[in-house]
This record gives sequence, structure tokens and C-alpha cells, in this order.
Amino acid sequence: MASLISYLNLEEESKRKKLWKTGYELRDRNSRPETSWRSESEQRIYSTKLVDALRLVRRNPSAADMVSSFREIREAADRVLAVEAKGRTRWSRAILASQLRLRLANNMKHKRAKVTGCSRPKRLEKKRFSPTLQRKARLLSRLVPGCRKVSFPNLLEEATDYIAALEMQVRAMTALTELVTGPPVDRLGSTSNS
Amino acid sequence: MEPNPGTLAGSISIRPDQEETGFESLQFREEIQRLIAVPPENASSFTALLELPATQAMELLHSPPSEDGDPAPLSSDSLHGISDDHKSYISSFNGNPTFPSNKALIERAAKFSVFASGENSPETSSVPSNSSANLEKVKSEPAETDSNPNSSQPLVSDPTVESKTQRSAKRKEREKKGKGCTKKSKNETSQDAQKLPYVHVRARRGQATDSHSLAERARREKINARMKLLQELVPGCSKISGTALVLDEIINHVQSLQRQVEFLSMRLAAVNPRVDYNLEGLFATESGSLVDSNFPSMVAPLVCPEIPFSGSRQHYQQQWHFDALQQPLWGREEDSQTFITPENSLLSYDSANSASLHSNQLKMEL
Repeated sequence: MASLISYLNLEEESKRKKLWKTGYELRDRNSRPETSWRSESEQRIYSTKLVDALRLVRRNPSAADMVSSFREIREAADRVLAVEAKGRTRWSRAILASQLRLRLANNMKHKRAKVTGCSRPKRLEKKRFSPTLQRKARLLSRLVPGCRKVSFPNLLEEATDYIAALEMQVRAMTALTELVTGPPVDRLGSTSNS
Repeated sequence: MEPNPGTLAGSISIRPDQEETGFESLQFREEIQRLIAVPPENASSFTALLELPATQAMELLHSPPSEDGDPAPLSSDSLHGISDDHKSYISSFNGNPTFPSNKALIERAAKFSVFASGENSPETSSVPSNSSANLEKVKSEPAETDSNPNSSQPLVSDPTVESKTQRSAKRKEREKKGKGCTKKSKNETSQDAQKLPYVHVRARRGQATDSHSLAERARREKINARMKLLQELVPGCSKISGTALVLDEIINHVQSLQRQVEFLSMRLAAVNPRVDYNLEGLFATESGSLVDSNFPSMVAPLVCPEIPFSGSRQHYQQQWHFDALQQPLWGREEDSQTFITPENSLLSYDSANSASLHSNQLKMEL
């Protein structure tokens, strides 16, 4: 009798934990303080940090440096974006981890950094997706960094955050490049002034 | 009657048939023992409910000091056919016909007996049938017929049982109200012996409350909610119906955004060697917004008197060669690289405070 009670307790506990976890996801998805990628302040933060990061990028362009400097800048941009996500999202952690791993591999050439990869979903979905949907889901998971083994609803959530973050990144970098390289003004009329 | 002092008699006395209390108490004891004796492979899960809380109730009752008033003739005939571990419980129960001095239990028993006393009256009898109808909704409680006669007994184990049934009744009422479901609850009433602190899902009206379909529905709703968010985010997706096309749009959007980032980073890489970042920071923080493209046009007249770049800018405008950019665009060549913000670490989680701090430092430097 007591064993039955205890067994029911345990089973209920594990079930409750599972349900609690899924419920926690759902419930806190709305109430979790997420980064609002649309706000001006976030963009300003990103721009300033990006400027700082760009300043640290290696500044001596050698011969075949265009590609490398481009890659550096791209990586810096992604890194700052991931940092701004504060590690709450999977893709941000994956970006940082992959960059760290590359860096360590380049410097030390031993000991790979442990990636905070996606944990395999404990419960595989019972919903039968059509093969086309599955293919598209695979495509999307390849596009979003670090989301290869993520379940479909989580993938959608990560994609939402990633798209918002990318849009902010594009806005900030556009403004930055506009600022740096100058507006595309037609100078034909104003050459006489200078 | 007389050997039943205390609130047990009190609860029974609420019932209209007062002279039959003794007889019914006998009946009830026998029934209790019969129920407990029957192992829970009985189809009616009410007995399963009854069995577990019965033992708990026994323990509950066992702790407070038992009174005498032990109906000896009852115990003799009632104890045969019962397993040993039950016997001790039964004996303790028999030696403990009174409720413990737990006020809550007494109240609950009173309430439940009010429920149950309406055996004769139709309206109150509808209440147990109603609760049983609610109980029917859960697949783990198919037997309502058992609950009806059993509900008529204000049992010692009633406090725990009826609290459970009350809880489950409340839960089923909430289910009947037909709110949207949030999570699923699998067989939660089958384990009513333990306290379940929260309700997971609310089944809609007319929908199957099968645990599988509940799970499916919860999953589908999760997915649909997230798809809706994505549709709002991606421009032009709200018109499209169908998951596949929406996914197509999303993928296209992500790809285009990534390509844009690459393109912009290429531009920045081209300009990078010759850019004076302090100026950038100053203008960025002064203006307060880097969003609109009119901003550089505002900045340009500020920049012009300081740095003569108009000529090279024109140069740059005409040809996209990066070699052109290698020429000194900016008049100032000093390298203000000495100033490196401490915040520029890999894993700095700064907030807007640091940004404003940084801008102040920039202003001071210039």
C-alpha cells in the first residue's frame, strides 16, 4: 500500500515535472523578459558595442585581407548581437560557442570548447509532418545557428527571435555604414563648392 | 446510535432518518470493510480512491487518541475475510469511531453529508449525480453507480475522499466551462490520492478529453501560436494560409536578412581601416538615433568643416573601388586607439547604462 502510494508519487512527480516544464515554456513565453529587438535603445546599445568591437578588429589590411577582414567584421557583428541577446536564446549561445571554439582551436589547437548544444528533445513529436514540411523545417533549422536538433515549436520560437535580432542588426549596420561612408549624395552639382 | 458518539453521529444526525443511523452505521462499516477488502482491481476507481485515502484516513485517525466505545459485536464479524494489515486499520477504526478533533475534517464531513443526505430528495440527489457526471468526463473514473451509493455514506474516510471529489468536481466544472487549454493533464484524477496543486488543461466543450488528443491539441496549439507570431514578424506572411508557404516565406526572409548582413559587413570592412570611430560614437550618441537615413545628411554639415573629405567622397561615390577608400578620407590621422573601453569583452552583458557611460567617455576624450 505504501509502496503503491510512493510509486504513484514518483510517477506523478515525473509527469508533473514534464508537464510543468512544457507549461513553463508556454506560460513564461509571454511573461519572460525578452529582448525587444525593435526598440531604439537596443539598437543604440548594439551600435555602440559594434563600434567598439570594430575598433578592435585587426586594422592592418594585408594583401588578401579583404576576405579575412570581412569575416572578422561579420563575426564581430554576430558576436555583439549574440551578446546582446544575453544568452537567453539558443542561437545566441551557439554563435558565441562556435566562435569561442574556433578561437580556441586556432590558438591552442587542443581541447575543444564544449558547445552548449541543443539537448535532444525527450519527447519526439507525435505529429506526423508531411515530407515537404519536414524538409522546410530542416532548411530553417540549418539557417538558424545552433538549432539542428531542436523540436519544431522551439525551432519556431528561436526563428522568431533570430529574425527580430537580424532585422535590428541590419538596421544598425545600415545606419552605421551610412554614417561612415557618407550618404549617397549626388555630387555632380556640388563639385564647384569644394 | 449510542456507541457512536461525537461528530460521526453528528454528521449522520443531519440526515433525516435518525432512527436508522445505527443500522446504517453498521452497513457503512461493513461496506467500508468490503471495499477495503476488495483489492483495487475492482473496475470502479472510486474504490481505488477509497482504498488509498482510507488507509490515509486510518492513519489520520490513528494519531489522535482513540476513545473507547468499541462496538465489540461489530468488530468480530467484520474482521473476518480481511487481510492482516487491514485488520489493524479496521480495529483502530472501530476503536476510533469519532472524528479527530480536526475542525476542517468535521466541516467537510458535514458538507459532504449535506450533499449525501439528499438521497431521498431529488434535487440533492442530483448533486452527487452531477458530480459523478463530472467525474465521468475523466476516463479514469467510469463508475458512477458506485459513487452514488457510496456517497450516501458519511464515511470516516470521507474527509479525504470528498475533498478529492470536491476538488475533482471543481476541476471538472472548470473543464466544463470550456476555456482554452494550456497544458494537458494525463490521468490526474486517477491519482487523486495525492494532492494535485494545479490544473493543467481545460478541455473545450464537445472535444475529446482523451489524453492523447489532449496532448495533440496542446502541441498543435503551441505550434500554431508560434507560427502566428512568425507570420506577424515576417512581412507579407499574414495573408498566406498554410504552413508550408509560410515556412517558405520565413526561410526566404531569413536568407535575405543574412545576405544583407553580409553585404553590410563587407561595406564596413572596406571602410574600416580609415574610419575614425570616436567621431562615430560621438555623433551616434549625440543624435540619439541611428535609424533614419536622413541622419547622415544632418551630420555631414557638421563633419565637413572639420574634415575635408568632400573630394575623396566624390571620388568614392563614383567608383566603388576599395583602393579609393585607402586614401585619407579623414583629415585627422591621429590614432585614438589608446582609448579602449573596458566593456568590450566577449561576454559582457551590459545594459544601457554602459552605453551612456561610453558616450560620456567619448565626449570627454574629444
